[in-house]
Amino acid sequence: MKPLLKMKNQHIRNSILLAICLFISGLSLRAQDTAKAEAGEPSVALRYFIKNNSEHYLIVRSNIKVGKKTQRLPNQVIKVFLDSAGPENLLLKTTTDDQGEAKVYVPVERAEKWNASAKHNFIGVLEASSLEDERSAELEITRAKIEMDTITEDGVRSIIVKVSYLEGADWKPAADVEMRLGVSRSGGILSAGTEESYTTDSTGSVTVEFKRDSLPGDDKGNFVLMAKVEDNDTYGNLLVETVVPWGVPVVYNTTFFDQRTLWTTRFKTPFWLLFMAYTIVIIVWGTVIYLITQIVKIGKLSKSEPN
Amino acid sequence: MNNSNTLTSEQITSDLLPQKFGSRGMIWTGILVLICAIGAYAYYRQLRYGLVVTNMRDYVSWGIYISNFVFFVAISLVGSLITAILRLADVHWATPLTRIAEIIAVSAIVFASLIIIVDMGRPERFYNLLLHGRLQSPIIWDVVVISTYFLISLLLLYFPLLPDLKIMINFKEKTGNALHKLYRFQGSFWKGTAEQFKISEKSINILCIIIIPVAFCIHTVTSWLFATTYRPGWDSTNFGAYFISGAFLVGSGAVVVAMYVFRRYYHLEKYITELHFEKMGKVVVLLALLYLYFNVNEYLVPAFKMKKPEEAHLDELFTGEYAPLFWFAIMIGMIIPIFILIFKKGRKPLPMFIAGIMVVVGAWFKRYLIVTPTLLHPFLPMHDVPTSYHHYFPSWEEWAIAMGSLAGALLVITFFARIYPIIPIHETIIENEKPAHQE
Repeated sequence: MKPLLKMKNQHIRNSILLAICLFISGLSLRAQDTAKAEAGEPSVALRYFIKNNSEHYLIVRSNIKVGKKTQRLPNQVIKVFLDSAGPENLLLKTTTDDQGEAKVYVPVERAEKWNASAKHNFIGVLEASSLEDERSAELEITRAKIEMDTITEDGVRSIIVKVSYLEGADWKPAADVEMRLGVSRSGGILSAGTEESYTTDSTGSVTVEFKRDSLPGDDKGNFVLMAKVEDNDTYGNLLVETVVPWGVPVVYNTTFFDQRTLWTTRFKTPFWLLFMAYTIVIIVWGTVIYLITQIVKIGKLSKSEPN
Repeated sequence: MNNSNTLTSEQITSDLLPQKFGSRGMIWTGILVLICAIGAYAYYRQLRYGLVVTNMRDYVSWGIYISNFVFFVAISLVGSLITAILRLADVHWATPLTRIAEIIAVSAIVFASLIIIVDMGRPERFYNLLLHGRLQSPIIWDVVVISTYFLISLLLLYFPLLPDLKIMINFKEKTGNALHKLYRFQGSFWKGTAEQFKISEKSINILCIIIIPVAFCIHTVTSWLFATTYRPGWDSTNFGAYFISGAFLVGSGAVVVAMYVFRRYYHLEKYITELHFEKMGKVVVLLALLYLYFNVNEYLVPAFKMKKPEEAHLDELFTGEYAPLFWFAIMIGMIIPIFILIFKKGRKPLPMFIAGIMVVVGAWFKRYLIVTPTLLHPFLPMHDVPTSYHHYFPSWEEWAIAMGSLAGALLVITFFARIYPIIPIHETIIENEKPAHQE
């Protein structure tokens, strides 16, 4: 009976010990997770841009996720590869700026490889640091172009935007591509029509009647029309701009500062202020000068009169 | 004077001739020189490292320096009050106080000019203000009017000094060789002829007339530096009158303090009598009530309306971060002195001296409260700025320079009292010789 009791006690002891061990290891794991979460999870993000069908580049961004919030991670070394990670496919090894961003162009020596295919895969690799392992991200894009044209029929102005993608050696219409289309204003786009955004039809085109009359342009009435596809899963970011003379010429009132007012330069002081100020100064300083002459006069009297 | 016709001219002259510093005078001067030297070192650091050594930043760009400037300009107005206004009103009891008032005015205006240059990050570029200044700017008006007021105050100090210089020239053995040379340089041409007196009297009268509008201008323009800027606490049409009433109060308070100190240190009880304290007490209490009235206007009316942009500013003053300082300035600078001086017993020399100190200290903090809290409450909310931008407390360099300038002003007054008679000798003799009924 005693050995049985002894075994039972030992079993209870072992169970308690195991529970303590599990509890401590659980705490330890939890602490590690918390520490990791507090340190943040670095990552790399890639975005592809085409501007006016002539300039295409990548924006690579180093991020760090702290809790639920993703923040920029500045000054990180990132390698960007074309299609597969390897020294022969390296586009650029770069360091992100204070905002955690870097701009990467396809270099001339990779032009042949770039032109050889309609689809490409970009790979961004955030270099390993003493705290973290290497992180990478991929972005697959299909080469595309965006074109803009304008027509005026019976006094009605329209904008036609066409998006195409490359398939083999041919450009095919890109349907169902959402874009914003309008006039460049204050860093944003003022929609040309009544909709906030437009989607290409089966011909890859969007036609929008321009309904913004009397919009201020530059001194010749020019402003910039802009069509922008943002973060399309297939084509990335496409932007096309064109200048049209559809605005109202704005001639700035340069005479505003030519007036004699309280807010202009000293050369444009109002006459009433000049008159008042100089009158006061002349009266007061005239009196002061007169008083100084009186001192001189007192001095002269001392020479002419006996004590 | 206390005992008219009982003093001889010789005794008056002997009593009022400048005296050498005693041990207390030396200690006092030494302390002032030390404070000035610390201030000079702090200013060297500001020149060396730039305005970054101050705690003034984007929002509080006018800190303790500008408060000090407004204080100096305010105190300088007393010259016009005691000398000009009372003289033109034919008030003779103020005669012994005129020179005290004038030297306070001159020293204050000198340091007002200096402290404004200290506030400039690059003082060597000051000349640009004259070369490129805009007549439309109140800053230019201030430059013009301060220099004008300085010159007029200097003349008002100098003309009545001429007969006294002649007297002091005659006491070479008592004044010493160096001072004798100075007196001769400044006034050897004064013979005391009837014609000279006539010109001098006429000049003094002209100065007394002209200094009043200039004095009003100097402090009105200073108030416009604030009032023409659209900000909570400054957006007032009342600021000119509010500033001038406060200026007369602090100036009178300073004169009372100086009266007490000079009377006690130089044993001038026969010349600065209890009657002078009694009269000055009434002047100070009147001015304190006047300034309190303007304060009620300045704070009660905006508080009644409590416009949104004013709310934060007024809350900060009444119950917030600046409340202790605000209520201290109101109590010490106005209400307690009123309660002291409204009673006859309070208008005795010692209580007057205490009330004078209170008025001056309260006035200094009042200027600080006019300048700083407003700057911390701009109309547009303060976003994305360092935490330090939300608060302002002067750095040690700012304190040292501000205190150095105050010590400098006191040093000028101290040296003036060492070199020249602080009570006009000649005028006192004339007043003494007048029959009692004329007085």
